[in-house]
This record gives sequence, C-alpha cells and structure tokens, in this order.
Amino acid sequence: MKVCRTLALALVLAGCKKVGPSTDSAALVQGAPIVADARIGTPNPPGAEGEWVMPARDYASSRYSALAQITSANVKSLKAAWTFSTGVLRGHEGQPLVVNKTMYLVTPYPNVAYAIDLTQPGYPLKWKFRPENAQAAAGTACCDVVNRGAAYADGKIVYNLLDGHTVAVDAESGKQLWRVQMADLNRGETITMAPIVVKNRVIVGSSGGEMGVRGWIAALDLATGRELWRAYNTGSDADVKIGPRFKPFYATERGKDLGLTSWPGDAWKIGGGAVWGWLSYDPTLNLVYHGTSNPGPWNQDMRPGDNKWTCAILARDADTGELVWAFQVTPHDLWDYDAVNENILVDMPIKGQQRKALVHFDRNGFAYTLDRQTGEVLLAQPYVPMNWAKYINLQTGRPEIDTSKATKQGKLVKNICPSLEGGKNQQPAAFSPQTGLFYVPTNNLCMDFESRPVTYIAGTPYIGANAPETGGPGDYKGEFIAWDASNGRKVWGIKEPFPVWGGALVTAGNVVFYGTLDGWFKAANARTGEVLWQFKVGSGVVGNPITYTAPDGKQYVAVYSGIGGDMGLLIAGDVAANLPFDVRERGTTLPDLAKYTSWGGMLFVFAL
Amino acid sequence: MRSLMLVPALLVVGGCVQASDAAESREPDIVRRAMQQGQQPATTGTGQPTLIQHPEHIQPGISLRGGFTTLTNPFQGDPAKIKEGGVLFVSYNCMDCHGADGSGAMGPSLADGRFHFGGTAGEVYQSIYEGRPDGMPAWGGRIPDDQIWRLVAYVQSLGANKDVATENFTGKTIQKMGH
Repeated sequence: MKVCRTLALALVLAGCKKVGPSTDSAALVQGAPIVADARIGTPNPPGAEGEWVMPARDYASSRYSALAQITSANVKSLKAAWTFSTGVLRGHEGQPLVVNKTMYLVTPYPNVAYAIDLTQPGYPLKWKFRPENAQAAAGTACCDVVNRGAAYADGKIVYNLLDGHTVAVDAESGKQLWRVQMADLNRGETITMAPIVVKNRVIVGSSGGEMGVRGWIAALDLATGRELWRAYNTGSDADVKIGPRFKPFYATERGKDLGLTSWPGDAWKIGGGAVWGWLSYDPTLNLVYHGTSNPGPWNQDMRPGDNKWTCAILARDADTGELVWAFQVTPHDLWDYDAVNENILVDMPIKGQQRKALVHFDRNGFAYTLDRQTGEVLLAQPYVPMNWAKYINLQTGRPEIDTSKATKQGKLVKNICPSLEGGKNQQPAAFSPQTGLFYVPTNNLCMDFESRPVTYIAGTPYIGANAPETGGPGDYKGEFIAWDASNGRKVWGIKEPFPVWGGALVTAGNVVFYGTLDGWFKAANARTGEVLWQFKVGSGVVGNPITYTAPDGKQYVAVYSGIGGDMGLLIAGDVAANLPFDVRERGTTLPDLAKYTSWGGMLFVFAL
Repeated sequence: MRSLMLVPALLVVGGCVQASDAAESREPDIVRRAMQQGQQPATTGTGQPTLIQHPEHIQPGISLRGGFTTLTNPFQGDPAKIKEGGVLFVSYNCMDCHGADGSGAMGPSLADGRFHFGGTAGEVYQSIYEGRPDGMPAWGGRIPDDQIWRLVAYVQSLGANKDVATENFTGKTIQKMGH
C-alpha cells in the first residue's frame, strides 16, 4: 500500500483500488493523500469487505470502508432504497451490523434486536429478540435510554441491555444463548456501550459516572458468558489490575495504589471512572484501549487529588485485563470531561518518524496523538474553540490550566469552553487511509458552572453542580471537521447550526457521511469537505452510518434516524409527542431544535 | 350467563383480599398516619380502606363509587413549607433527575401541569413514598413523612395553574442544568 501511494494517479487507480464501473474511476483519489503514509493500525478486519461485523468496522475503530461504487462524483444521485421502523422511539445511537447477508439492529430501551434478511424482497425479518429488561433502567440512565450497538462473532450477536445485562443471541435463529447480570441498577449503574469481541472474549463496561458508581471493565467468555476478568478503574492496584507489567509513560502516573491515594478517604468507592464509550484493540500488542468517565461528584472540592484513574485512557491486556499503560487526560477533572471517546489506532508519521499512534478527540477540546505502545503524548492541539487550558505540557502530559476557568464550590465560573458536553461527545470520528485525515463531528458549546455540596444516595445522581450551556463563539453550535493528526491541525470544516451529534463514516470512494440533529443525512467530498448530497431523514441523527455490499452486489449506506441521547433528551426542549404527561416547556440551549425534529425511530438505507 | 357474572365478582373479591394483605404489609404507616391526622379511612363494601383517590382511574361498578377519603397534605399551599420542599428537592438529588425547577431531565417534567401517575397531593405522595415503575425510587420509610409532604407541596407549586396545550417551544434560551 505504501508503494502505491507514491505512484502517479493512473498507477494508483490501476494497482491499488477495488473500483466500481470504469466511469467512476476518475472520481477517485485526485492526487496524493493530504497526510501521507497513514495506515489503519489493524489491517485485515474480520468479515468480508462488504460486511460490518463490529461497531467501528475494525478493531482500530477506523469506520473506514474500502467500498468505492459510491464516489464523490456520483453520490449526488444517492436515493433512499428502503427503510425500516424500529418500533421504538428515543435516541438511536449506535449502528447496525451486516454479516452473512443479514442486517442486525439493536434499538434503544427496551433493546430489541432485529435480524433483517437482505436476500428477500421487502426485507422481512429473520427474527426479533425481545429481552427482559427492567423498566427501572429507563429512569436510571442519565442521558437517554440509548444503545451503541452489538458485535458479531462466531455466529453470535452480543450486546448490552440498559438494565445491566450482557446477552448473546444466536445470529441465525435469534435464540438467547446466555444472559449475564453485569451491572447493578440500585447503585445507579446501567449499560449503554457497544461491546467488542476479542479472541472469544466479550469486553464490556458500565455507565453511571453521574450516579456515584465505581467504574469497571470486564471480559466474558463468548461461548458461555462466564466472567473471565473484571478490572475496576478506582481503588487499589490489585483492583485496577496494576502489576509488574504496568509502565505508564509519565511520572505522575507512577506510584503505589494511586487509585486510592489520589482520593480523600473512601471517595474512590463512589468515584466514577465508568467505561461507557468505545473500545479499540491492537492484536499485535494484544491491548484493549478504553477511556474512563469523569470522577464523581462534579463538585471537585469534595474529592481533592488527581482522582485516578478517571478521565484517563487505559491500555489493558486482553487476556487478563492487566493495565499496561495509563494516561490521565484530565487529572482532577473540574468540568466533567470524560475521557471515554474512541481511540483510533493509526500508523502514521509524526515529526518525520513513523509511529504506532492512537488518536483521541477528547471531551476537553484537545485532539491527542499518542504512542499506543507507551501512552506518550506525541502532540495535543485544540480541535474546537476552547479556553480552560493554555496547552498540554508534553513533558508531563498534563494541561496547563487557566485558573480563571477552574470550577470551585460556591463560585460561579462563566463561559468555560468547551462545555461539559465537550468538543466531542459519544459521536465517533472516522479515519481514511486514502486521505490520511480524521473526520470528526464536533460541538461548539460553552458553559457556566457552579458547584454545591451533594449527598451520595445510592441509585440517585451524585453531581453537585449546575452547568447551563450556550453556543460557543461564532454563529454555529457544531462543525464537522477534517483533522490532520500528524500535525495537529484542522484541514476543513462544515459548520452546522447544531452540535454534530451523529458519527462519521468515510469510504474509499472519497465520500464522508454524517447526520445532524436537525435531521439531515449528508455526504461530502472527503478531500475537500464540499457537501455533495443530503437527505432529510425525518428525525435527528445521533447514530453512526455504515456501508455494505448487499446480495445484489451494490453498495448501500445505512443510518438510524431518531433524536435523543444527551442532546436530544436534556437540552432539546419538547421533542417528544407521544407522552401526554411529559411536556417540557422550557426552552434550552437549542431552543429551535424542536422546530426541526421530533422523536423517531427509523433505519434508512440509501443506494445509487 | 349466570356463571359469567359470578366469575368476575369472585375475581374482584379475591383480588381485593390479596391487595388488602399486600397494602397492610406494605403500608402500615399510612393507615396509622391517616388516623393521626384525624381522617377516618372510608371503606368500600369489601372492607378495603382507600386513602389515595385517583381521579383518572376507572372505578368499576357505578354503585360502588363515593365515600372515598383521600390523604391531604397538611402543608398544602404553605409558602414556608414549599420553600423547604425546594431545599429538600436539591438535597435528595431530585433536581438532578427531574431538572432545575422540575423542568425534566432524566425523569419527566414536574412543572408542566401533567403527571404520569397523578397530580393530586395523595398521588404525588404515593409516587415519592412507593416509587414508580420507570425508575422513580421509593423514599417511604427512608426519609421522614413530613419531609415527603414538603416535597409534595413544592412539586405541586411547580405545576400550579399550568395548562400546557399544544406547541411548547418558546424560542427562549433558558438556563439549563447540567444533568
């Protein structure tokens, strides 16, 4: 592949790409990549090229597809091919899977799973799985009753239920194979994250950073659901699985039992560090990469110390859960900047040297490029307007904080950017080896912040702060950007009126796809950012597009529409219509949003 | 025909007996408190005391209606108790679920004049005391009763005189609490 990139256009087209009809060839790569020699760090993902078997397409979390029938030249002719109503409302985060000519969907609570037969006209169901799922979970989840998707492995569909179970379902028959209680609702734990399957281990983590939980990540045996290991993210080295293999890069991550000593008293027991975000895996290093949530409560005065290992990126051995390295992105977090965003594994040149990198667009507004073998910060630059820190000190890995933006009990701190929703939240970015760029859906939001004392009451929120939000500088609240992580710079951006809360997909056809809160599904030129096509999908998009090859040999693009998630639930005003008893009158940070969308629940599939 | 009429009656009686046993094992305090407040719980023909009247619930058998007594809030409309209820609303983390001023967040809005499980004093009391199926915790027996009544007074003050009919977005940007 490296050889191909250095050749002229014609040779590239002839030698390296699986292309569609010859008329599309000219629309492909028009010149050299913008960042050369950048490759997905985990080549040869499971599944065929036209399938999508795990949440982010591969273990590197690239969300890149080599399919190229749809190109930047012909995407303007994309049309809705078919649709499917999920039968459920609320935030449709996550993405479907396509395996063995079948599409698999998981809905928001009650987390119904569907298998759609892609070979039959009318797309009938093969099966529908309706798990038992405790109703109380709906009122325990902080940020809507979302689900971020399933994973496929060895004939099984595995996913998590909001009420804290992990389930495995036979992919052919829809029969439940096993079901395990992993999280405890009475402690405020729910599960929303998408698992990955690594060497017959299902890796899962919990939600509840706002509920005073103690965060953990665990591995279950794929065949039986038996728990193989569970590592906590606060507490003693033994509980966190810190042992002889632990080699953090930075001095402030070294020391005995920092998961205890960086907290006052027993605060670590209800200290957060939940694992509700996306997982990545490097098969060569055998490392699972994950982030941890904010510490609890948001009121920082109640928890002096670095609060390890919250707001951190952790690298764990897939077999044992042992912690191999850790980098605490925002020590002693003052702003609810969870570090759970995806870690995209890319081999790329940094300062002229080829590195095994990990790229992470953090809530705190910095885009980090790390060495994924050691956790060293290679570069960190703001990717959105921000003001709480001046820069990241590369010697220490720590932010140089602007003390005027530090939050404190009893003090109203105004205009902190980004807001607690972050420069980016759950919406995942994508990477294209063709352009070498990252495609990042971002928020432009700021907040005021005032904290107050809070009492821990198990099963209720443990927050202790008010944080009203406004739009950031400029007349836009979101931007879909292309980012060069070798040099730490934005290459182009598409400004949006609302935070871009849906994820990205990028393809070898030079097209990038994403959806918006006001219900547009868009396609843009991956090199230039020119918007080439859009379609109004009826309800805001908070999920992530996928692309696949159908039994008819054609390339399709699929995405959920159905507003919800944190944006849709908490700050969108009255977007629900089916609840006569819950009419949210107050306008919020996005007062106009309810003009453009209501709740929905549809799968849209597009083709040429 | 006769057998058909008989069966429902048996079911009603059987159901009520079971409910009565469950109610007494679940809520002995409610009965005691009602007595202390000087209320005589009325009984239906089945001998079951009824303390929470639910206006929107269907009551089978027209002849069985009437004679209900409902728990009333000793702090109804008392501004000082409403204010204290507002403080408790924060202390018990109600605000973090239901939003600042009850505008709705993880849990439904309490300020829109509409209630999923009823908005009379007795019904709001029952919601707080017993919890509700979608994740409202049960506070009864864990916090003092007079605190629950303060919360009831506060919650009822939020939705007072509200009659939210159709479109609700006002276009105003109003302060939003984090979660």
